[in-house]
Amino acid sequence: MKATKRTQDFKAIELKLTKDSSAPHTIYLKEHVVREHTQDRPQGRTLLVVNIPPYADEKGIINAFKDAGHVQSVQLCLKPSTAEVKTVHRFLPEANTTTFRAAYIVFKKVAELDKALKLDELRPLNSDDHKVKVGINKWVQEYNDSVLVPAILKKNIETFMSKFDADSQKAEEKEKELEQEDDEGWVTVTKKGKVQSFARTEKVENKILKKEEKNKKRKELKNFYTFQIRESKMKNIVALRQKFEEDKKKIAQIKQSRRFKPF
Amino acid sequence: MVKRNIKSSISEDIGVTQTVNENGKRAAEDDHSKDGPKRVRTKSLYRQPTVNELNRLQETESLFNSNLFRLQVDEIIQEVKVKEKTEKKFQQFFTDLKTHLLAIPKDDTEYDLSTNTLAKKLKVKIPVNEQLMTTKCVFQFHKFSDVEIKGSYGLGCSINSKLRVDVQITVPSETYTKNDSVNYKYHKKRAAYLACIASHLAKLQTIEDLQYSYINSCETKPVLDFKPVGKLGNHLSVRIHLTCESDAYKLHRFSPERNNLREAWLLNDNTENNSDVGPPTPYYNSSVLADLTASVNQEFLNEFLPKSENLKQAVVLLKIWLRQRNLKVSGYVVCLLLAYYVQNKRINNIMSSYQIVRNIWIALKASELDTKGISLHKGDSAPSIEEFHKHFPVVFIDKTGYYNLLWQMDLGTYSALKRECALAVEMLDNGKINSFLPLFMMPLKPLMKFDHLLRFKNISQIKDSVLAKASKESKVNYGVEQLSLVVDILYNLLAKGLGNRVDLIQPIVEDDLSWSIKKSLDKAKIGVEPKLSFGLILNPENSMNVVEKGPPANLPEAEQFRAFWGDKSELRRFQDGSITETCVWEGEALAERRAVTKQIVDYLMKIKYGIESTQLYHVTDQLDSVLVRKQYRGQRLLYVEDGALTALQAFDELRRDLRQLAQLPLDISALYGVSPIFSYSCPVPALPRAAPHNPWKRASTCLIKDIQRDGLAVLPEYTPVCKAIVELGHSGKWPGEIHAFRCLKAAFHLQIAESLTKQYSIPTQASPTHIDVLKNGLVFRLEIAHPKEITLLRREKENGVVKYRESEESERLQCETVLLPRLRGALHGLHQKHPSFGATACLFKRWLSAHLLSPPHFPSTLADLMVAAVFLHPQPAQPPTSPTVGLYRVLKLLVDFDWARDVIVLDFNDDLTREDITKLEQQFSEDSQQCLRIVTAYDGPSPAPWSRLAPSAQVLARCRALAASALSYVEDSVLVDYKDNILPMFVPSLAGYDVVIHLHSSLVPHSFERVDSTPRLQKLPESPVDDVIPVVEFHPVLKYLEELRSAYSEFALFFHDLYGGEVIAVLWKPDIKEDREFQLTNATALKPISSKGETKYGVNVEALVEDFRILGDGLVKSITVN
Repeated sequence: MKATKRTQDFKAIELKLTKDSSAPHTIYLKEHVVREHTQDRPQGRTLLVVNIPPYADEKGIINAFKDAGHVQSVQLCLKPSTAEVKTVHRFLPEANTTTFRAAYIVFKKVAELDKALKLDELRPLNSDDHKVKVGINKWVQEYNDSVLVPAILKKNIETFMSKFDADSQKAEEKEKELEQEDDEGWVTVTKKGKVQSFARTEKVENKILKKEEKNKKRKELKNFYTFQIRESKMKNIVALRQKFEEDKKKIAQIKQSRRFKPF
Repeated sequence: MVKRNIKSSISEDIGVTQTVNENGKRAAEDDHSKDGPKRVRTKSLYRQPTVNELNRLQETESLFNSNLFRLQVDEIIQEVKVKEKTEKKFQQFFTDLKTHLLAIPKDDTEYDLSTNTLAKKLKVKIPVNEQLMTTKCVFQFHKFSDVEIKGSYGLGCSINSKLRVDVQITVPSETYTKNDSVNYKYHKKRAAYLACIASHLAKLQTIEDLQYSYINSCETKPVLDFKPVGKLGNHLSVRIHLTCESDAYKLHRFSPERNNLREAWLLNDNTENNSDVGPPTPYYNSSVLADLTASVNQEFLNEFLPKSENLKQAVVLLKIWLRQRNLKVSGYVVCLLLAYYVQNKRINNIMSSYQIVRNIWIALKASELDTKGISLHKGDSAPSIEEFHKHFPVVFIDKTGYYNLLWQMDLGTYSALKRECALAVEMLDNGKINSFLPLFMMPLKPLMKFDHLLRFKNISQIKDSVLAKASKESKVNYGVEQLSLVVDILYNLLAKGLGNRVDLIQPIVEDDLSWSIKKSLDKAKIGVEPKLSFGLILNPENSMNVVEKGPPANLPEAEQFRAFWGDKSELRRFQDGSITETCVWEGEALAERRAVTKQIVDYLMKIKYGIESTQLYHVTDQLDSVLVRKQYRGQRLLYVEDGALTALQAFDELRRDLRQLAQLPLDISALYGVSPIFSYSCPVPALPRAAPHNPWKRASTCLIKDIQRDGLAVLPEYTPVCKAIVELGHSGKWPGEIHAFRCLKAAFHLQIAESLTKQYSIPTQASPTHIDVLKNGLVFRLEIAHPKEITLLRREKENGVVKYRESEESERLQCETVLLPRLRGALHGLHQKHPSFGATACLFKRWLSAHLLSPPHFPSTLADLMVAAVFLHPQPAQPPTSPTVGLYRVLKLLVDFDWARDVIVLDFNDDLTREDITKLEQQFSEDSQQCLRIVTAYDGPSPAPWSRLAPSAQVLARCRALAASALSYVEDSVLVDYKDNILPMFVPSLAGYDVVIHLHSSLVPHSFERVDSTPRLQKLPESPVDDVIPVVEFHPVLKYLEELRSAYSEFALFFHDLYGGEVIAVLWKPDIKEDREFQLTNATALKPISSKGETKYGVNVEALVEDFRILGDGLVKSITVN
């Protein structure tokens, strides 16, 4: 339900760090339109911005769009993508890479998005009450943040592990459930079930294949027929010849690089 | 035995159609039924062998080292062979020359050679020096009867490059009178005879560049050099030798015991009694004998050599080998040596050339020509070999029994020859390398070969001071050839003084001169000084001994020892109770100990001949100043090895502590160091420093204070950590999910840290990824490693089947936690074996970094490996023992090695078989994505991980270009200019970069360690920090670079000197100026540009530069855009 027809082309606009930045980057923005909108990127209120410079942070962007209205949320990501972000339960936070990014900006009201699309000029990222952290200040803060008091680290570990245990417990229960006959009488074979099975890994598969091949080979007769003996002799010569050919190739290569001129 | 034709090869047989064996054909079809061209090849592989081919295939293994070796021998012989066209042309030229020479006019006039009459008449100068000029003798020119081609060209074993055809003219015996054998009258007449020929040749139109020359400082025996006019002159030159008819003198007049040079004449001493015959003059005698015996020996050679193709090939190979090593052994001597061994049945002419060469090397390696001379002479009329040994250092008697063919060879050259032979055999027996290349293809320059070069700045002054102390006998023996005497004396002095510290002392004399026939010899010599240097190869075990232990004080030898060493000798009592005469040299630091040989040489030259050390020039430790810490010092100067040693000691203690930790769920089974410091190859190693002043603390770690001075942040000094890997005991309970695994690892980190603090009360700081431990003032960063983590990272699911694939992250982890510990251990072992490894690696890293190619452009581990390659594959030389020479060799490797085609295989402990190596080489010849490949024995299933990501082809090309210019700079500075400061090789050029970012130097770590900064030498504290972990690994410049590279690697490359570089140089990618297409996913840094009503997109370069400034806020001083 669009209030007005909006253009689907990107609009270019400059984004400055401070008021007197002389060579700012140009960012490109348009309405975020996809067939199925997710909850965190609602239809009609989400703005897609690409080419956000590496140093920009959420607060800075909110500040930049202040003229349009209230920004509800800002999502920064490496590439614009429609797929929902799957959150994996991680222990170590993902490393923060400095690079150009895309952003989804959600406004509170639909009208604010319209206004944002009509802006001719953005405010700078830095405002009086928020300065983007860059350079030495940023690195110092990062360093100081990385030093953890053992108690906190311990707590982190404990919370993570208890969640992990709970999750794996759940998964196990789910597996157990699968063991039960379903309505049509099917039983799913799982790793820990009563029904004997083997792990479905590449290694195991290869092992089985090898075993079969070995069995086949064992039945074969070797050095039995005359032609086999003749062949093995021939093979010997062929090996010698092959080596000779290889060496000749090598020589040709060396020759090509003119390395036979000793002086 | 079947006589072989070397040149026949299988390739000739391939063309012949063969009946294909039925079975063979079927096999071929089974194997390659799909593609046509391959099948043709296979068909020929499966054809019936001919007898010829079978023979060849089999004999190659037995007669030649390997197939490859044989093919290469064929190839090189072909290459150095004189072209038929040239031969024909020369034949024509020679006929003309001969007719012209034989038409030389008769001249019955008798000339007094002490006046200028002959020279005036001939209009050319007589090539003798002033001293000989004064001797009175009467000369009459007698026509010679023949002009012959002799030497290698005559024997058919000459080498194509710098080909010189030896032409021999035999002077009729009536030219010389009975008395001419003494006091250089013979030589003078010989010179006059040469002048006659020169004057006649000057009229010939078909030659040019007619010059007198002398070789090997034999200035009394000049020769005539000239070139044919025209194209032929590009290929060869001609040298006319004068010999003498053998009936001119009885040979026994020149026996080694005879005197033919009167003291009175030589020293202009008329007062002494002239009838006194004086001491024997074997050296002088030999110079006459060389002429007298030439024809006999030549005939002997002509008897057997031209008949055997294989012998001739062997001579050519040996000559190439000698020339690459710059050993002063003439082709003539080589031929005669071969003749000797043929006579002794050591070799024969049905052997292959490879076998002959190999046998000669083995024979020479075991030969003892300095004590047990050999002789071609049969019979007992001649003087005994013992008699020769009394007067010559090396003895090899010719066919006549009177002439020592090696009269000019000194002991140093002979031991060099023996040593090279031993090395050659060793190389042949080493199946793991292609020994052909180092044996025949690589020139072995003095800088490559020697660890220490001693050069003399002012040779004539040295000559005077040495000769002033020489004995009269030796002076008479050597006559006017004083340089040979000086070399002899100095060699003996060095050999005695250096003793077992050196494996080889080789004199290198460059004293050849060519001058115009219109110029007198003395004038030609003005401004041309002979060059003399001694090359030393140090014995790695003994060369660094600081104490020279002499005999016990009560023995008579003690007196001699004192006499030799002078004041330096003193009585010392040792721990084992012995009291001996001893010399003690300075050398507390390892680097000083490396210079002990230099101290000894300087000292001996001073006390023996009064030669000041300023007159001497050593090529050995020029770059040691780069290896000294500039900011700090301990009790004395700190070298890189000292830092590493402190760290290693602390690490050993830490290992002990960790092993004894109680109450851990899993025991610590091993601890491996992975930082370069553990293999002595860290140029700025961590040092134990003072405790930080009034620190902000969290847990047991310092925080960075937020203070500013003059608008700049004040940062704590950069403290590096030494990284190590901890291995835990086996357990099957690790979780099978990567994040849970890491969480458990963190829990272990926490627990180890806590128990370390509890049990030993040392400060520790656990973090999810590592533990920092403070030990003896140094911070160690420990990380737990477990193979399961790598497996988990590799794991992926495909159609419900679990498969294991290498991912970027798993490879990185594999390198860091599995391969690097083993490699670091091996490099540490290498340093123990070759103590200059670490310092050489440091120099190489400093050099790379100085030229802004620090990691990631040229990874540090790869630099280590490249240096290791110089030590593990030193062929054709031996591993270097001084870092300066080591760096030279590394750069040489970088320039000379064919990186595109070849692979370096580093096998630290002989783990690989020959087959493994061949397999590895093949594997790489197929895929050529990496531009540089160094494989180690530890690499596992995917070899060469250290060179996988970097360097890029461009960086490698730049490295090689820089190395090439550095090499030529070093060669010029040390071999021509006697420069002691060659540090300019570490000065980078900032030209060519697009943007240069200047940083505030106070914020740059290691800025005091720059090559060009002046040493500050603050003293390190007695008791280093022990209660709090300082701020570690906080490197603002690296942080900045990391951000720049991660954000802008699409547009630019960033270069920086890791060791205190105050600039970052930026190079735009070549396509930066091009228009780009605007895409949703690829709009990075684009700006719209409207031209002609159209909107195009291009990279916003100005904004990028602005970004550099923004990201480096507080660190960047200024940015220059070129």
